[in-house]
Amino acid sequence: MLELKNLTVHYGHKRVVHDVSLTLAPGQMLGLAGESGSGKSTVAMSVLRLLPKTARVEGEVLLDGEDVRTMSWGRLRAVRWASASIVFQGAMHSLNPVRRVGEQIAEPMRLHSTPGSVAELLEQVELPREKARAYPHELSGGQKQRVMIAMALACGPRLVIADEPTTALDVVVQAQVLAVLTRLVAEQDLGLLMISHDLSVLAQTCEDLAVMQGGELVERGRTHEVIANPRHPHTAALTAAFPVIGAPQHRWTEPAPAPQPLLRVRDLVVDYGRTRAVDGVDLTIGRGEIVALVGQSGSGKTTLARTIMGLRKPSSGRVIFDGAEVAAKGRALKAFRRQVQLVLQDPSSALNPRHRVFDAVAEGLRVHGVDGDHEALVTAAVERAELRPASLYLDALPHELSGGQQQRVVIAGALVLQPRLLVADEPVASLDASVRGEVVALLLRLRAELGLASLLITHDLGLAWQIADRVAVMHQGKIVEQGPVEQVLLTPSHDYTRALLRAVPQV
Amino acid sequence: MSVFSRLGERRAGFLAHRAGVAGAVVLAVAALVSLLAPLFVPADALDVTRVTADAWQPPGAGHWLGTDHTGRSVALLMVQGTGTSLFVGLTAAVLSVGIGTLVGVVSGHFGGLLAGALLRVTDFFLVLPALVLAIALSTVLPRGLGTIILAIGLTSWPSTARMVRAQTLTIEARPFVERARALGGGHAHVIGRHVLPSVVPLVLVNATLAVASAIVAESTLAFLGLGDPTRISWGAMLHQAQLHGAVPQRAWWFLLPPGLAIVVVVLAFTLVGRALEAVVTPKR
Repeated sequence: MLELKNLTVHYGHKRVVHDVSLTLAPGQMLGLAGESGSGKSTVAMSVLRLLPKTARVEGEVLLDGEDVRTMSWGRLRAVRWASASIVFQGAMHSLNPVRRVGEQIAEPMRLHSTPGSVAELLEQVELPREKARAYPHELSGGQKQRVMIAMALACGPRLVIADEPTTALDVVVQAQVLAVLTRLVAEQDLGLLMISHDLSVLAQTCEDLAVMQGGELVERGRTHEVIANPRHPHTAALTAAFPVIGAPQHRWTEPAPAPQPLLRVRDLVVDYGRTRAVDGVDLTIGRGEIVALVGQSGSGKTTLARTIMGLRKPSSGRVIFDGAEVAAKGRALKAFRRQVQLVLQDPSSALNPRHRVFDAVAEGLRVHGVDGDHEALVTAAVERAELRPASLYLDALPHELSGGQQQRVVIAGALVLQPRLLVADEPVASLDASVRGEVVALLLRLRAELGLASLLITHDLGLAWQIADRVAVMHQGKIVEQGPVEQVLLTPSHDYTRALLRAVPQV
Repeated sequence: MSVFSRLGERRAGFLAHRAGVAGAVVLAVAALVSLLAPLFVPADALDVTRVTADAWQPPGAGHWLGTDHTGRSVALLMVQGTGTSLFVGLTAAVLSVGIGTLVGVVSGHFGGLLAGALLRVTDFFLVLPALVLAIALSTVLPRGLGTIILAIGLTSWPSTARMVRAQTLTIEARPFVERARALGGGHAHVIGRHVLPSVVPLVLVNATLAVASAIVAESTLAFLGLGDPTRISWGAMLHQAQLHGAVPQRAWWFLLPPGLAIVVVVLAFTLVGRALEAVVTPKR
């Protein structure tokens, strides 16, 4: 149905896709894996000729035997959506916020004058038909993604391209969306080209797998064969980067004897207006201990972290750090913040785009009026975060660095104040698989060298398995289960923990 | 080194806007003329009691742009008026943009009751007809250049305040501000290191556009006879022309030059402002 022959795409002199050949039959699910910049999205966009004018496309893109590259404009418009459609990544940005989702689903049907009903499409993606009258902001992330899928199916295409359809969704919702996609492919005999940086998602859903690196197709075959015996080192690296819960080789840390408590949270309650985001949480973090706080989005884990940092006021309850209650404001709070540092999820937005690395790292020193040689302190922190030699990076602006390097700068900015606790909110969620492992290892090494305790907030149970000593599972504002990693993840006692574990895609 | 290279890039970006460059050239000439005015204009050339030429002389060899109702050279009046118009325009714009930035950043950063109160005040000034308020102010306050500047500055800041507030709110929502707070940074730190640097480029663009409207406002007030009677400005020349019957005299040379000069300088400021806007706004 879809056949790519020697597809090559240039932007100016830069070759982003080189000599890619792929075929896809009806009813087949093909996964296209690769890291950012590997050219996987460019391949997807070239199928519907959606690349910008500056792109030079060579080779053949055959859709039902017809070359998309040479189609007339009118023919191309007829083919778009009616023969092949796309589920774009980032459902939150791809929907028009001021129109009802029903109208948006109906839009391609109106343009192509295809019969059909929005209600039926919503049923296919397992949404109640009343949701057609909802605006995007009234839907959750998973519901929006289903709306996108319904939209892609509106004109009855035979080929659907899903570009990172589950990125930014938590594991439970991700599993639901993947189930919907799998069922639709089977029922309607669709061809599905699924693009993702997450090999485990593709392994879960697709029977065939292609791996791209640097614009080239490095491996392709049946999924289980590719995963079991990767022939290309890049595939092997990608497979190894995704931790398998329960596998001893993916457990990078030794359980430590119960340490002295550093931070204690007692019966903490946080309300947002009438919603109770955190509902009576007790949590202890020991000196040098890594505690993972896991849960779905909306479970209150980020609010809990913000409250621990003193960025939100609790409605009731106490936060005790090193034996003393954390002050609500003033000098005492400032002193506390020197000890506890925050590492945010998306390093590109956690750094001021106008500040050079040196200024970003030295910010904490300036805030706290630390005496001494700032240059030496910053250099030491940057090198601790494994950006070596520091002199290469100090003058760089954030956009000149890769995602992994940016995250190291954020970590260096935290380290420069010699904190005792690091609160890390999804520290590796936005990083590529190969970089992810390095940053995870860095966190572990900092614990070993500096005795740095960490609170890891994540929906990624694999990350918890890799480095945490203890896990706390949060659900609807409450901690439903906590204990040593092996106990919670291997022999869960609470239903919610089991549901979370079931939803984790397996490589 | 790299800071300079970035400035260099911006300069190159600005030079790519031809209209902006043309505007900048016009402004440079106007600034030069106003600075060198004392050299062009002999001390007693504009003294009504000492002029020798006849009134209402059309443009000719002796007087490039003719003479006014008292026999003064219109060309010299124009040169003398350049400085006043530019000075009033610039200072009034600085005043208005200054108030606007302060109100915008404070209401955007602190929020709460203070922001509510400031916003209501902004709304109040926004709905007031600026010209009427300026006229009222200049009749109440003693007549002079300071009054004009104050009247223009006090009536034109609300739009800047609105814009700066919006920009402040978007910056405050960015994670790097949260990181700065988590580091222990207080209000001064967040405003000084993060908010102001991102607001300043916008404010500069807004300031060039504000100068243009301030010049128009000054001319309007002067034309209505509310200007400083001891100073020559382009608006004041128009006022004189209208008062002493330049139209029945068919003395187009007394009406056209100040009118055209206002249009050209205002246009130049607008062109420069638009070009700057295109340079400092990140490309999408």
